[in-house]
Parts: sequence; C-alpha cells; structure tokens
Amino acid sequence: MPRPTRARHSIASLTAPVAMGYIPLGAVFGFLFVQAGGAAWLAILSSLLVYAGAAQFMMIPMLASGASIGAIALATFVLNLRHAFYGLSLLNSMPARRWQRWYAVFGLTDETYSVLTALPPEASARHMALVTALNQGWWVLGTTLGALAGARAQITLAGLDFVLASLFAVLAVEQWRARADAVPIWLALAAYAIGYTVAPGQALALAIALSLLACALRPDPAKDGRREAS
Amino acid sequence: MIDADYILAVIAAMAAVTVALRALPFVAGRWLRRHSLVRKLGDTLPLSIMVLLLVHAMVGSARDNPAGVWQELLAVAIVAALQWRTRQTLLSIVAGTTAYVLLRNL
Repeated sequence: MPRPTRARHSIASLTAPVAMGYIPLGAVFGFLFVQAGGAAWLAILSSLLVYAGAAQFMMIPMLASGASIGAIALATFVLNLRHAFYGLSLLNSMPARRWQRWYAVFGLTDETYSVLTALPPEASARHMALVTALNQGWWVLGTTLGALAGARAQITLAGLDFVLASLFAVLAVEQWRARADAVPIWLALAAYAIGYTVAPGQALALAIALSLLACALRPDPAKDGRREAS
Repeated sequence: MIDADYILAVIAAMAAVTVALRALPFVAGRWLRRHSLVRKLGDTLPLSIMVLLLVHAMVGSARDNPAGVWQELLAVAIVAALQWRTRQTLLSIVAGTTAYVLLRNL
C-alpha cells in the first residue's frame, strides 16, 4: 500500500529539521547545565520530564544562583504561557487512544506544534504521538551528548549563555510572523523601562505584570486592526 | 555541584507547571474560547512576553560586558534577520551566539 509509506516519508521529512535543531540545542543545554554545576543525569531527567527548551535554558542561571522553587515555577509559567494557546487549534485533531493523547499534550513544544499544524487533521491525529516521541528523542539524545561532553570539558567562554537571548529572539520573530502587530512590542519595551526604573532587581516580574494589565485593557485589535491584515 | 534534591524539586515544579499549561486548552478549551479576554491575551501577550524575556536576557548580558550594549544589539539583530529570512532556528541561534562569543572574547 503506497499510502502509509507516503505518510511515513512525510513524517520523516517533517521531523528531520527538528532533529537538526534539537540535537545540537539539546547538547548546548546539557553542556551548560553540567558546566553550571548540575549532575549529568539531572540534565537528562529534565529533558525527559520538563521537555521545554526555553524554560530549561532559563533554569540554568536560576539554579546556579539558588533561586527559590516558587520563583523558578513562576518564570516557567510566564515563559510557557504561550503553550496554553497552542492546544486550542489542535482540539479537533487529537489521537483517539488515551495514553497517546496525554503524551501528545505533555510534549507539545513550539517545534512539535509547528510540525503538527503542517499536517492535515486526520494525519495529525494518527501520527501525533509518534512525531512527539521522535522530537523528544532528538532532544534527549542531544542533552545526553552535551551533558557527557560538559562533564569532561574545562572551558569557560564568556557569552556562551547568550544562546538563551538568541532563543528568545527566534521565538519573538516567530510570534511576529504569526501576527504582525507592533503594539505588544512597544508595550513590552515601555513596561520593562518602567520596571527597570522602579526596581532594577525585580524589573522582569514588574514588567510582566504591567504587560499583562496593558494587554487586558487594550482595545480589541480584532475590531480595528482588520485593514492592516488585508 | 548544585544539590541534587534541590534540582529534583525544581524539575518536578517545572514539569507540573508546563504540563498544566499544555493541558489547559484540552481540559477547558470551550471555556477559554468563549472568553474574549482570553482571546485578546492570546493575541497580544505571547509577543510581549518574548520581547520582555529577550530584553531581560540582553540586559543581563550587557551588565557584565564592559564593552557596552552594542554587542548584544548586534548579535540579536543577526539572529532576528536570519530567522526572519531563513526560518532555520538552529542557524539563527548558532550564528547569533557565535557572533556574540567572538565579540566578547576577541
């Protein structure tokens, strides 16, 4: 039968670019985690259980500075808030089997989401768990390689942690591509400027609270933003 | 070494928060879609948060960089331009980070 072969082929071609991103980035995560003083097996465990790239990169400096668990949980919440909106567009294409459904929900990262939305709904339902497992496999493999390398290496390059800023820049560009609306950028910059002026140590938390408030109070963009979209 | 029990507790907390957020639309999708406030936040908030996190990371880097903020701005411009044109996440991140590491260490 040619049909399953084609489906498998298209899955391989969709998950290959994710592999090219996840293996090296996972390796950088594992490397930085071990260099910061975490045990290699804990780096791998976090890629198995947390499985959220940006949040995992963010946890490294927070762990190194001994941040409280509540502060790290709050930062994770803010950073992964966007994931709460991903599922809305996948509601009608979830796998039928219960454990597959829960695993797919657990592993709904930015990249897996973009692969799944590229598939037709019925193919998406059938292959969601497989695509998720392959993608997580690349991430865990990369983490393992990086953690093992980090346990041996003794190099300290200033600026290597800029990988986190680069990742945020990529995510910001992709958010912009999805919805070219400049207001959220200006809101964020103004909120950060205010936060930094009022309390430099709490600038991020303050700015997030201000942005949340401003976004909630903002006039509905769907009503007056149509002419830009056309 | 960072204490393993502390890291285990952090991993448990992060995993719980992440799964809860990813499961939310499947548990309360109908409720979420009915509320215009949720939709409005979904339209605006993700980009705001990404810009905030980006600025915060840049400020953190610039603070222990004696050369000033232009190196951070240049590296982020490289990442954004590459990502906008190529959509190759790995290429953008590697190029931007490499550029930054070179600027800092040369």
